[in-house]
Amino acid sequence: MSNAVIEIRNLSKIYRDFWGRKKVQAVKSLSMDVMKGEVFGLLGPNGSGKTTTMKMLLGLLFPTSGEMTILGKPAADVTKNERIGYLPEESYLYRFLNADETLDFYGRLFNMSAADRARRADELIEMVGLGKARRRQLKEYSKGMTRRIGLAQALINDPDLVLLDEPTSGLDPIGTREMKDLIIQLKAQGKTVVMCSHQLADVQDVCDRIAVLFQGELKVLGRVDELLELRNEMQMRTPALSEAAMADVRKVLEKHNVTNVEFSRPRADLEQLFLRTVRESGERPGRRFSTEEVAAGGRG
Amino acid sequence: MDFDVRPYNFTSATTSWLTLLGILAVVCLALPLVVLAGRGGVSGLVEFRRGLWSYLEDVFSLSFRRILALTSLTLKEAVRRKALLVFVLFAVLLMFAGWFMTDSNERAELQVSVHVTFLLTAISWLLLPALIFLSCWALPEDIRIRSLHTVVTKPARRMEIVIGRMAGLGVVVAILLGVMGLIGQFWLSRRIPENARSALQCRVPLFGELYFISSEGQPQETGLSVGDIWAYRSHIPGNSRARGVYVFRNVDESALTRNEKGEEELLLECRFEAFRTVKGSESSIVKGISAQYTLSVNPREEAFGMLAQSEATRPVADALREGQYNTAAAELKKLTERIRTAPGELRPADYFGLHFGMFVSGTVLDNRKDPGLGDLGKLFIDAALTGEGVTAALQRQEGGERVEIPYEAFAAKLDVVAAGLADRAAVLMETLARMEVPLPSFNVSEYHDLDETSTNLTRVPRRLRFVADYETLGRFLAAEIGKKNESGGVLADGVLKASLTEELVRDLKISQLNSERLVAVLGEQLTGGALAVDAGRLKVADGRSWYAFFDDLIRREQLVSEDTDGWMIEKDLIKDLAAQGYLRVEVACINDQMYLGMARPDLFVRKADQPFWVGYWKAMLSILLMLLLIIVLGVTVSCVVKGPVALLFTLTFFLVGQFFHDFMIRKLAGVEKGAGTVESAILIAQHRNPEVGMDVSETAMNVVRAADQGLDGVLRVFSMIVPDFAVFSRASMYVENRFDVPFRDVLLPSVVVFLGFLIPCILIAGALLKFRELEAK
Ligand SMILES: Nc1ncnc2c1ncn2[C@@H]1O[C@H](COP(=O)(O)OP(=O)(O)OP(=O)(O)O)[C@@H](O)[C@H]1O
Ligand SMILES: [Mg+2]
Repeated sequence: MSNAVIEIRNLSKIYRDFWGRKKVQAVKSLSMDVMKGEVFGLLGPNGSGKTTTMKMLLGLLFPTSGEMTILGKPAADVTKNERIGYLPEESYLYRFLNADETLDFYGRLFNMSAADRARRADELIEMVGLGKARRRQLKEYSKGMTRRIGLAQALINDPDLVLLDEPTSGLDPIGTREMKDLIIQLKAQGKTVVMCSHQLADVQDVCDRIAVLFQGELKVLGRVDELLELRNEMQMRTPALSEAAMADVRKVLEKHNVTNVEFSRPRADLEQLFLRTVRESGERPGRRFSTEEVAAGGRG
Repeated sequence: MDFDVRPYNFTSATTSWLTLLGILAVVCLALPLVVLAGRGGVSGLVEFRRGLWSYLEDVFSLSFRRILALTSLTLKEAVRRKALLVFVLFAVLLMFAGWFMTDSNERAELQVSVHVTFLLTAISWLLLPALIFLSCWALPEDIRIRSLHTVVTKPARRMEIVIGRMAGLGVVVAILLGVMGLIGQFWLSRRIPENARSALQCRVPLFGELYFISSEGQPQETGLSVGDIWAYRSHIPGNSRARGVYVFRNVDESALTRNEKGEEELLLECRFEAFRTVKGSESSIVKGISAQYTLSVNPREEAFGMLAQSEATRPVADALREGQYNTAAAELKKLTERIRTAPGELRPADYFGLHFGMFVSGTVLDNRKDPGLGDLGKLFIDAALTGEGVTAALQRQEGGERVEIPYEAFAAKLDVVAAGLADRAAVLMETLARMEVPLPSFNVSEYHDLDETSTNLTRVPRRLRFVADYETLGRFLAAEIGKKNESGGVLADGVLKASLTEELVRDLKISQLNSERLVAVLGEQLTGGALAVDAGRLKVADGRSWYAFFDDLIRREQLVSEDTDGWMIEKDLIKDLAAQGYLRVEVACINDQMYLGMARPDLFVRKADQPFWVGYWKAMLSILLMLLLIIVLGVTVSCVVKGPVALLFTLTFFLVGQFFHDFMIRKLAGVEKGAGTVESAILIAQHRNPEVGMDVSETAMNVVRAADQGLDGVLRVFSMIVPDFAVFSRASMYVENRFDVPFRDVLLPSVVVFLGFLIPCILIAGALLKFRELEAK
């Protein structure tokens, strides 16, 4: 408990319309913890409640029931925001400001001194690579540039906890790479990162633990390496083999009664996990998979 | 619009504000408490407590720097979103406006007020829609495009966001208004035709109280009504004893102005209205109507005027007002005789008038604290209280009760008053001194008048030279000769000084002939033995006062002036006529068969003018406050509802507040005549008038009445939460009519109304934004 940065217990969210009638249950009885210093991935198909969960953590939405603390404080407490950085799903910034002004404005909301703001703005703009565009108004920015400045504003206060809602969406491959490096770097600095993403490869690369949501329910929660380990299979990684080499290998294995050998290029296994989870969840709602089940699933 | 400043009652405004705030707080706390407890029971209560706590924490941890950041954000937004384009519109408007407004044949004042009115109206009505829009749209738009999400996930308190919005828009509007004001100032000073520019004035009025004295000499709250629909002005008939009496307070040297010659003078400005009963080409119509002011010090009128209310007491009152105290005592005795022998001859109204008049007289006398009068005032009050018993008993008798009426006790008390009057007649004569200074009559200028000789501005020199009446002359001579004699300036070696005539001309500022006459009479009196010499000083031989001595001489016509001008003496307007800062101006109408109409604000002391632009910018300030209030309301409403709805709300608030607030207050106070809303509707449907009443059953009647009471309740709530927007336009009206804007009674109320709404609005808006989810769907 001591080093849980986020604790969520039985969290539910029902969206209601103007008359209080139920529209959607976006989150159903969610319980999970995020530990200090880890990179945590929230996964799930569109509309599975990832963003809703994040918004509740930030106090933008109020839970229908359940409890949560974030950095040891209730979600509704603004003072927690001092140590949090949030990158929204889309960068909701003021389009009439330029990059400098944007960072300066958000810096002022943290009561940072003018000198601190200027120094921090320089660092961040350098980091996200917007040096050339820093004096242009955001309304002229491309999607990726907007994402970058969004990230910069999320880090303006050097937060302990960073919430990133689809951080790589809209970024070019280089940007994606940089983003991942940055997340790893943040982790190295001892910060906690929670992110949602559909780029499973990215998640796989950077996340220590993941949770998979489907229709608001937690389906899978665990360490990435454990979840992806397939116990009844073996994988061998070699440089690309010639046809002859492959035939030789096959022969050797046949001696050991291993017949169904497959040669292929490595794939992002997480994708399969993801797909399968989604499919099976559709058949059996209201159930959560154990790590063993996931591991035993093979690639059926 | 009258420029009658209704004094703003801050204490009552503040107390009702605090009460309202209390009610509001209770409602705002009770509502969520009930909802939360109803939904979640005990955990709902816990939630309520937590919410309240965190709200209070927010309130007390507001950060000025963050608010500043949010303010400048709003400012930048307005600038970058080109809100300043309003200027262009404004400039265009001003350019074209000129085409329709130049008519240099009009009177100067009219031209000025047309221009100023246009300008101020244009400015407020240009900015108003722009601001309603900006303030109602800004927050919902921020929520819609979710830029607010990024802000609230920073440590910014939601209340800071609200304040920042309001402040930012406030700065924007201040800048807009400031620039428009400057452009307007430039425009006015160029645009108003040369010949009318002198009317760009900012008059500083000092208003007084008004009451009337009827042709019968009776003091009355209103004069005659000549059947005007609005009966705003009361009228006094010409060529009669009737007067309109204005009493100004706080008239001191600061009320004076200087003319071109550097002499101090008091300006009296009027806007009386004439009413004529004669038709045709009578010369008086051509000449207009003449009025005359009489400046007076008249303690006897003040003390005893009210006694003239009833016919029975009028002889007593008249004698008292003339200073004939013994006659008054005798008249009073006659009255008590009538009360004793035939009490029924006097009407209840007479008893009422008597006791009420006695009470006023007693209070006035008692308050004066004149030495030598002792408890005379108390005697009056004592009699008045007994008289009240008579009135009360009469009333009960009227109601069918059998009661003993204390006539005898009343008569006895009145006798005591009569005895007191006779006893102190001499002291009364010395202390209750009347002085009247009639000013030359003048032709009243009416608004349609083009007659050059008529005027509404009277310049009264501070050093007043006027023909003294008997009493004034007597008191003047008594005081001046008495003083000179005291300092040994009258006698030399037991006889009148040789140079006395010259000295009197010099010191008393009287004419040579009058001075000679005075010295001659003094000489005669000395030799005749009416005056004696005692230790080098003159002395009235029979021990009477100097005033009694001179009064007697004057009345025996021994001091008749040989001058054609009569007895001209000089008095100081401030020191002698407004001794306690209290100036009485009686207005008479000269012309027979004409009536002069007047209301309280129709005559005022015009202090030194301010530069026109002082008033102009005060009006701007008032407009600014109005726009700020709009911002505050708009932002508050837009915390819960979307742009268009917020806009509708704010607009309704404004329109109701601007045009119906006064009506609501008057309706609730019962000033506005007529039946309740539902009842009126039924009456209209049944083609009946309120006197006849509805043609419905008893039960239906009760239902209708109850419904009307319910509606009144709604109206009451409305009248409390809708700001009185008319307060803000008041300043403009003063300026349009070339008056200065009184700070305490016009400007300060605007500030107070604004603040009165600002504080609760911030608190409410902060809560609304805090306890809502920021989801834009
Ligand atoms: N404001 C809202 N009103 C009503 N329903 C909403 C609202 N916001 C989200 N929802 C619903 O809640 C569910 C969860 O939405 P959420 O945005 O949390 O999904 P998500 O996992 O972030 O999806 P994505 O991957 O597409 O971003 C969806 O069914 C969505 O339709
Ligand atoms: Mg999402």
